[in-house]
Amino acid sequence: MVKGFGGSTLRIDLSTGTVARAPLDPAFARAWLGGRGFVAKVIYDEVPRGADPLGPENRLVVTPGVLSGHFAPSGSKCCFGAVSPLSNGHGDSTVGGHFGPELKFAGYDLIVFTGIAPSPVYLFIDDDRVELRDASRYWGQGTMDAEKMFKEDLGEDFEIACIGPAGENLVTFACIGHDYGRQAGRCGIGAVMGSKRLKAIAVRGTRALAVHDLPALKKSTMEIIKRTAQHPNMAPWQKYGTAMFVGWSNEHGVYPTHNFQTTYFERFAGIDGQPLVDRLLVSNKACFGCWMNCGKYSKVLLPGREAVYVEGPEYETGSLCGGNCGFDQIEQVAYVNWLCDRAGIDTMTGGGMASFAMECYEKGLISREQLEGHEMRWGSIEDFEHWVDMLVHRRGIGDAFARGYAAAAAAIGGGAERLTCQVKGQGMSGYDGRGAPAMLLSYMTADIGAHHNRAWTITMDEDLGKNVIRGKAKVVVYLQHIRPFFDTVSCCRLFWGEVDVTAEEHIDALRMMTGWDDYTLDEAMRLSDRLWNLNRAHFLERNGGPGRRFDYPNARFYEEAVPSGPSEGARLTMDDLDVMLDEYYVARGWGKDGNPSREVLLDLGLDACVANLERAGLLGGLMEPLPPVRGERYKPKAF
Amino acid sequence: MTVLIKAGGMLTDYLKPDVDAFTRRVEGPDGATLRQLLESIGVPPGHVAMAFANGGLVTLGYTPRDGDVITLRPPVQGG
Repeated sequence: MVKGFGGSTLRIDLSTGTVARAPLDPAFARAWLGGRGFVAKVIYDEVPRGADPLGPENRLVVTPGVLSGHFAPSGSKCCFGAVSPLSNGHGDSTVGGHFGPELKFAGYDLIVFTGIAPSPVYLFIDDDRVELRDASRYWGQGTMDAEKMFKEDLGEDFEIACIGPAGENLVTFACIGHDYGRQAGRCGIGAVMGSKRLKAIAVRGTRALAVHDLPALKKSTMEIIKRTAQHPNMAPWQKYGTAMFVGWSNEHGVYPTHNFQTTYFERFAGIDGQPLVDRLLVSNKACFGCWMNCGKYSKVLLPGREAVYVEGPEYETGSLCGGNCGFDQIEQVAYVNWLCDRAGIDTMTGGGMASFAMECYEKGLISREQLEGHEMRWGSIEDFEHWVDMLVHRRGIGDAFARGYAAAAAAIGGGAERLTCQVKGQGMSGYDGRGAPAMLLSYMTADIGAHHNRAWTITMDEDLGKNVIRGKAKVVVYLQHIRPFFDTVSCCRLFWGEVDVTAEEHIDALRMMTGWDDYTLDEAMRLSDRLWNLNRAHFLERNGGPGRRFDYPNARFYEEAVPSGPSEGARLTMDDLDVMLDEYYVARGWGKDGNPSREVLLDLGLDACVANLERAGLLGGLMEPLPPVRGERYKPKAF
Repeated sequence: MTVLIKAGGMLTDYLKPDVDAFTRRVEGPDGATLRQLLESIGVPPGHVAMAFANGGLVTLGYTPRDGDVITLRPPVQGG
């Protein structure tokens, strides 16, 4: 067994109720590390290309990575993955908290679910004891209520990951909840879990993880703890978390407002981090092994409603469920956050979808009659709450929204497509790319659709010029390799991004755990490159090509100028997007059509992708010689 | 007026610390705003998401006083 890992894998066929256990293959572990690495490899190899993401052949993959569960910089994460019902391509989403470490303590690095259970079940894991159990008692419960019930029934020391009614009813942007308010939010993995009638996974693990060089790991981690405790970012981060960036994002003209119609929200002061801390905060909250404890646990009191508790709002919720939906009070944003969490809806695509519905209502594209006599006004809690109910229970027009942006736009008609702020079906994160072109390129090219965590570029956009199109693609590629690395090894990216724990220090920890003394950051970056190309090939094999045609956002982002705020007048054209894409494809070693080339795939050892893409006529031709290193680290002007 | 300015992350590259790994001693004219002070030493104010004076949240329009400890927080990089 490779040290650092739990040592075992589980294969669970929900159709037959069979559970198969096998040891983790050391070669597989070294090649793919875990987290999104395991997900990408499993679903590429096993899910038939024509399979419905919500059908029995899709895989639901649950996997903590190698750093998860260790005394190292916040090894707290667990990755949930599948073919996404939003993009029909690779999907993965990670959640912090305690679930991933607990799974490792029980001895498991990978669980793969196939099939569909005849009736609702949950997976019970108590170290070696693994059982599928009846979940009819929990079915229909919201995520926090279900988690509470599981803990009451099984014990507080079980960690729970579960879906809510949205996942049960196959809302394509349903999430998986854990720890009363954390989510594996993106890519609709909760819908895949619901399609399998798997309500939850409950796990208790009591084993210690084997570590190759425990004294060295302890010494290194203690030094990191002491150093980061003095870091100037630590105290502000602990106090405000991510919520304070509403104001910053607004002042920089990238804050999505009224379904990305503009990028400045005049009434932002009521939903910034300060009112959260002043009016809602109950306590800070930490993930496993974390000394940053940036989570914000909040109590929300809205007039005429019972008090509710929610973790957050984080920045993304504060933008997409904030000014983007016209809410100008932090209590409203937090309440909407709670509504989505309870139902098991991703607040990002959910907030974006709600704002899309609001703009459709504003423009007369959907009627009060379609909304069962209700309206869908900016900043209305009542309207939002009713819309969520229609969505989750798939009533009327709610069913169209539940199926995703393309289905909703088709059902609504009247040119609603141009109002769908997404790429590849994934709703945009909380930054408008017209004031930051590289951020838009990041959305356009991300393997899971328009998500910010693959490459966040806004300060670089500011440094090089908010109107500058050229010269940024290589940096986007670099970020798309370094940032997902943390999702592969399953630790929190914030220690790298906010308090200067280097990627090399994470590799040091990996070596100390596993004994892979020759493992380097170069090998990890090469794995990131391999994963990116594998996921691109997978997407093309499932959706056809050329890849370029999937890489454009909706027309708002290349036809409309920003009408107000600091980015007023900012406008990108289709030519601008094409220039960025051309540079990006060159930097990756892809063809002008956006398809990976034979050269880059062979260089990365993805021979199977070459054969599959060649058979489908989807291999790209190199535009320029293959770059030996894909991506370029950006150095600020000060260097 | 002399103040200590602390910053980490990407702001460190602009700040060029000289006291310790995160801190730079900065002298400026009395009455200058924090924004003016930062511009004078090459720290782009646009890259400062939050600023604190002696632990209290301030805006870039704040007028630092002699002996202040100013902490700068860059925008979120990892989220």
